[in-house]
Amino acid sequence: MKKTNIILLVVIAVAIGVIVTMVGDFSTYETFATAREKEGKEFHVIGKLDTLQAMHYDPIKDANLFSFYVHDKTGETRKVVFYGAKPTDFEKAESVVLTGKMNGNEFHCSKILMKCPSKYKDDQVVVSNKQL
Amino acid sequence: MKFEGEHLLPGQLGHFFAILAFVASLVATISYYNAVKVKEPLVRDSWKKLARWSFVIQSAAVITVFSCLFYILSNHYFEYKYAWRNTSRDLPTQYLFSSLWSDQEGSFLLWSIWNSILGIILIRTSKNLEAPVMTVFSLAQLIMASMLLGIFVLGYKVGSNPFMLLRHAPENQAAPIFQEANYMQHIHDGNGLNVTLQNYWMVIHPPVLFLGFASMIIPFAFAFAGLWTRDYTGWVKPVLPWTLFAVALLGTGIMMGAAWAYESLNFGGYWAWDPVENASLVPWLTMVAGLHTLLAYKHTGHALKSTVFFFFISYVLILYSSFLTKSGVLGDTSVHSFTDMGMTAQLLFSMLVFTVPSIFLLIARRKEIPGNNKEESTYSREFWLFVGSLILLIAAIQITFTTSIPVWNKLLSLTGLKGLFKMDDIAPPSDVMFHYNKIQIWIAIVLGVLTAVVQFLKYKDTPKGFFTRKIWVPTALAIVFTALIAWKGPITYDNYGAGFLTAIYIMLFASIYAIAGNFTYIFSGLKGKLKNAGASVAHIGFGMVLLGALISSSKMEVISIDRMKMLNDGFFRKESKQNPRENIMLPKDVQVQMGDYHVTYVGDSTATGDPKTYYVMHYERKDKTTGEVKERFTLYPDAFVNRKENALSSNPASKHYFTRDIFTYVSAAPNKAEAATADTTAYVAHEIKVGDSIFFSKGFMVLKALEPAPKNKNYIAEKNDLAVGAKLEVHTQTDDHFNLQPIYFIRDSSYQYSVEDTLAPLNLSVRFTKIMPAENKIELKVKEAAGFSDYVVMKALVFPYINVLWLGVIITIVGTGMSIVQRTRRTEKNANASTKKTPVNI
Repeated sequence: MKKTNIILLVVIAVAIGVIVTMVGDFSTYETFATAREKEGKEFHVIGKLDTLQAMHYDPIKDANLFSFYVHDKTGETRKVVFYGAKPTDFEKAESVVLTGKMNGNEFHCSKILMKCPSKYKDDQVVVSNKQL
Repeated sequence: MKFEGEHLLPGQLGHFFAILAFVASLVATISYYNAVKVKEPLVRDSWKKLARWSFVIQSAAVITVFSCLFYILSNHYFEYKYAWRNTSRDLPTQYLFSSLWSDQEGSFLLWSIWNSILGIILIRTSKNLEAPVMTVFSLAQLIMASMLLGIFVLGYKVGSNPFMLLRHAPENQAAPIFQEANYMQHIHDGNGLNVTLQNYWMVIHPPVLFLGFASMIIPFAFAFAGLWTRDYTGWVKPVLPWTLFAVALLGTGIMMGAAWAYESLNFGGYWAWDPVENASLVPWLTMVAGLHTLLAYKHTGHALKSTVFFFFISYVLILYSSFLTKSGVLGDTSVHSFTDMGMTAQLLFSMLVFTVPSIFLLIARRKEIPGNNKEESTYSREFWLFVGSLILLIAAIQITFTTSIPVWNKLLSLTGLKGLFKMDDIAPPSDVMFHYNKIQIWIAIVLGVLTAVVQFLKYKDTPKGFFTRKIWVPTALAIVFTALIAWKGPITYDNYGAGFLTAIYIMLFASIYAIAGNFTYIFSGLKGKLKNAGASVAHIGFGMVLLGALISSSKMEVISIDRMKMLNDGFFRKESKQNPRENIMLPKDVQVQMGDYHVTYVGDSTATGDPKTYYVMHYERKDKTTGEVKERFTLYPDAFVNRKENALSSNPASKHYFTRDIFTYVSAAPNKAEAATADTTAYVAHEIKVGDSIFFSKGFMVLKALEPAPKNKNYIAEKNDLAVGAKLEVHTQTDDHFNLQPIYFIRDSSYQYSVEDTLAPLNLSVRFTKIMPAENKIELKVKEAAGFSDYVVMKALVFPYINVLWLGVIITIVGTGMSIVQRTRRTEKNANASTKKTPVNI
């Protein structure tokens, strides 16, 4: 067998090995309920901000504590605690992807990805303002 | 209905030229195709002539479309949706360009312009390869032009017209405002450009990146031309400088994006393994692999097939990256991606148009592609170039695999596999950075070592002893320097355990080895001839990029740690790892220690004509023992503040040293307007005698005496006044003394007045409201405002040796540029010298 072929086989083996170890890293999208079942493990939860309950960020007391309420896909509402400053434009977020874990009744997250409304929606908002 | 105040001409012109570009590129594609296929020379030449003219016409049309769109944006014609959506009247002129390419249509337009320019250069330079190469180019332009059509074909919307009027936009058609003829009178300003794009990097980064994207088609087109016309080797020489060009430009574009992220985004870094960043990095990796197999082929005749494969896959991956970012499929995983515009099918189609024929040709004609049947020696350069390329391929596969998670989800549900196995949607790893880093660090190690070593091997075979004689110098140098760093400034990054720290040290060695190896090669291998040292210079730069990335990220330090709160809770809790408390609150004018620095927030400032608010932060570095100030500087991190929502979109500011950057940004600031009106604290009444005290939160005050003829700047005595002043002495926790003198007086024997006295620094107001002669007491009313105190919440990081990274990028670009010059000269010289001279590879 040619050396090149051996190298190719090795490379394929390494690639497969790498991919297999990577898949182990992949996380899943969960709801608060399913995340609670596996408390202590990190998950992604997609949800919407609960605008009826106040979000709380008081930098004078603690600049690294931001809490808010989120409905998940099933409609369950939970308090979410984020150890960091309140992200910019957080109120505008249409939906949020939270990375973190359940801790008792609260969801402690280490990362927030906001999906801001598409510009398409923005258009509508402004146009309706102009009608007044 | 006739609408008033609209400027329809530029839009109509623009749309006309967009359609013209589509038609002309269609003609160019067909004509170039015929110029390849037809055998008859005269007919072939007339097809070629037609093709050239159509390509030039489409280029002119594309540039006109661009100009029309720019004209509309710069004149603020908000009747056009593109202008309304992406600009506003107060947008500085230079950012009009940023808004031009902030949407998909504009970015296609930019790409299309670069394609046109490169195409025209190739018409002039590619000689007998012109027809097949330009067929590929024209097809690419046809697809690009179709993205800007915005017309419906059989009920399917093809492309998106940038000249759409606001009133024609589907979401606006029902709106009552657009039923009025004079609707333009109600639209005064546009939506404005996303503030993170209002940065000078966003003016130059997209053009360079898209030039990189556009130039990636050249190696693809040459390789495709070679397979198609069965001229399997003729394209190799002219493609080499272009391959270098593509690698340099795409690399520059990517790193400019990194510089933008570093200077204007708040995630405190230049690289976050975001899907959009990854999508453009991957084709760069495969193109670098292709460049190296191409060199191996040129010198030995090995690896032509792999070169073709790498060139094909690189352009396909460029199209894939455009698909990922523009189809909206990344929505849940990336911060930068566009939202879906209903063009997913079209983007997918454009990818397949290039993928299917090229891969098909490669498979069908694989037997005809010349190769070298002799086995490579293990002591040959080509063997290790090939191995290195495969390592790059593994890196590309790994990055693509994880980046494509949303695509896997779509595929799994489309094929029904998800339902079959009851699978959940896959989500990206929860610690994305580490997920990539832990694999890519090993790849970087292997690449670093290969970069150091392989130059010392000769093509075909290396004489015994040559390699060992040359390699020991750089090896010794690298070991010494690594040991020196480990001793003088050790890396103690243990967040992921000792194993990862070991990997960091091995990579430290590998990157230094790459620098040392190529540096010594310039002298020992090239005898100091700098003219030929392009590759070595580029490799030194590459080693520096690895080194800079490694040191700046493993020794990056957050200095704005809120230690007070750490003691209160959490520091020793399980959470502490995810709870780094990296933001700190700075009250105005209070000095806070951060690392080696003492930082004071002294206020904010705005200027007319500049929408940003600047926060003034004084930094002082004091000598640890004497307390003497060694250094003073001021940083001005800024932010766009949306007063209505008090939303902050902040830009960092950095103090650059040669050896490190102090990186500062504001993560929150109070809403001053709101705080000023929100003062609703009530006065509290106290009845006291002379000598009594009243306590308040920051201290206490003592009633010293009652004065019959009081003086106060708010009180002008009149003749019949009966006035008494309460002489108060205020003591605070910090032993400051203040005097207050509120006044009570009766005017004209009937009206009672009270003149308040205030103490601004303590937010304290005191009124003298009553005298009770019977009890020998007076009544004071004291108000302590909730205390609007100005503050900012900030984050500060130290990036050590980040300049090594940036310098490395520049050196890599310079080195690649040197290679381009050297290779072009060599090609020209060969062409001039003789066409008969047999190239090495045949």
